Amino acid sequence: MVMESRNNAASAFAEGTKLSDFDERWLIVSHSQAIPSPHDRDRDHEFRSVQHLLIALRHRLSREFMGFRLYVIGTEPFVWKVRGTAEEFGLGCDEVRLFAIGSLARRVFCNHCRTITEGVKTDIVICSGCRANLFVRDHFSRRLNAFAGVQVDAEVPGEIPEAKELYL
Amino acid sequence: MIRSEPLSLRLRESRPLSPTLRHLSLDASDGGLLPTSMPGAHLSLTLAGRQRTFRNSYSIVSRHDERAHYEIIVRRTAESRGGSAFIYDELRVGDVISASTPNSQFPLQNLARKHLLIAGGIGITPMLSFLAALRERQQALELHQVARMAEVEVVEKLLGSFASHDINIHAGRSTLRLDEVLARQPLGTHVYCCGPQALMDAVDAAAAATGWPASHVHRENFGAAGGEPFTVRLAKSGREIAVGEHETMLEALENAGVPMASLCRGGACGECRTGLLDGTPDHRDHFLTDSEKASCTAIMPCVSRAKTSSLTIDL
Repeated sequence: MVMESRNNAASAFAEGTKLSDFDERWLIVSHSQAIPSPHDRDRDHEFRSVQHLLIALRHRLSREFMGFRLYVIGTEPFVWKVRGTAEEFGLGCDEVRLFAIGSLARRVFCNHCRTITEGVKTDIVICSGCRANLFVRDHFSRRLNAFAGVQVDAEVPGEIPEAKELYL
Repeated sequence: MIRSEPLSLRLRESRPLSPTLRHLSLDASDGGLLPTSMPGAHLSLTLAGRQRTFRNSYSIVSRHDERAHYEIIVRRTAESRGGSAFIYDELRVGDVISASTPNSQFPLQNLARKHLLIAGGIGITPMLSFLAALRERQQALELHQVARMAEVEVVEKLLGSFASHDINIHAGRSTLRLDEVLARQPLGTHVYCCGPQALMDAVDAAAAATGWPASHVHRENFGAAGGEPFTVRLAKSGREIAVGEHETMLEALENAGVPMASLCRGGACGECRTGLLDGTPDHRDHFLTDSEKASCTAIMPCVSRAKTSSLTIDL
């Protein structure tokens, strides 16, 4: 079980399932002193950041065997990031379970300059790369872990509808 | 791709590997190039015997990109429905036979990080084309071949050119610990099994018990052997056709002149799926889902039979 945060993690579970049912629990605590336990028998491990956790996860997956299952709870960008890492090690969709909770903010891929803008809460956003006004589509790419963004005023330059906060 | 135009093949060479195994090499009767096959593909041969015509499928053991000829290995079995007996007794070098374009129900998985091959007896045949392809792609592999003591030598010869890979030959099932083999495979492994039903079922069961997802377990299904005779009724024409103990329902229908679509003839492809109106079927295919099987509304006549004395089908 890999968790981005402890908040609301339990809401991912079916009735009767508890965090303690999982063999191991890996948690990001966003604290510079956090260090995962060196003991394999320990069931709880804490990490400083997403990057810190992913490095340990790669190391772990490289020596795991068939029959392994990975459960992931966190925001959508986080769970797909972990899923992408698992895929690099041959884990398929039957072996990884994702549960998205928390902010609905989107990663948006600019179809024109290919820059990814993080944490987008509105349906129209200015691309952090080319400054184009992008309409945030519902089209999600698992490979890129991002939603597609297309220039909203491509037909009539300058005609930009008001942005609405949809992804809080 | 499903191409229906048959190929015309000429038997170029036929040599015995053992008293019950024969290696055949077939080329195009017009001397041209044959279609490329795929690793794990099979060839369905139409064998016109004196009494009746047999259609038998054999895995291609030559390289999938070998276009000058196809090679197959045929086992002569005591319970043969007649096809392999025909190959042994009547087919001569130079004879021309009709065959389907190579068809694959047993492909290598491109995303696999390792390929675990488990075969029993003649189930070695698709593995030979897998091994050649995997060696060329430099992909990780491990093979376990179960063989009767008397056939260990011929199996060793067939696998000889792959000796530098992780090749394990077992004289009998007892030395193959499936649960241990499956439990120590790295993430991203796919397992492929071809051989007797009992071996394939054991691999399925051991894989499920070890936590393998079903999507990583692949099996090559040979047509199941015969069973109790029964009668098949054709609802539209009112005809009744007897299905003998040593023939399949598909063969009985074909021999009675009923036009039937078919491809793998092993219960895998779904091509011969036929509506079922009455009677209790003995489903032996791997195409229909469990709920379709339970509903008894369709049957795969290439392998499935009847639990009742007759079946009524929607033809």
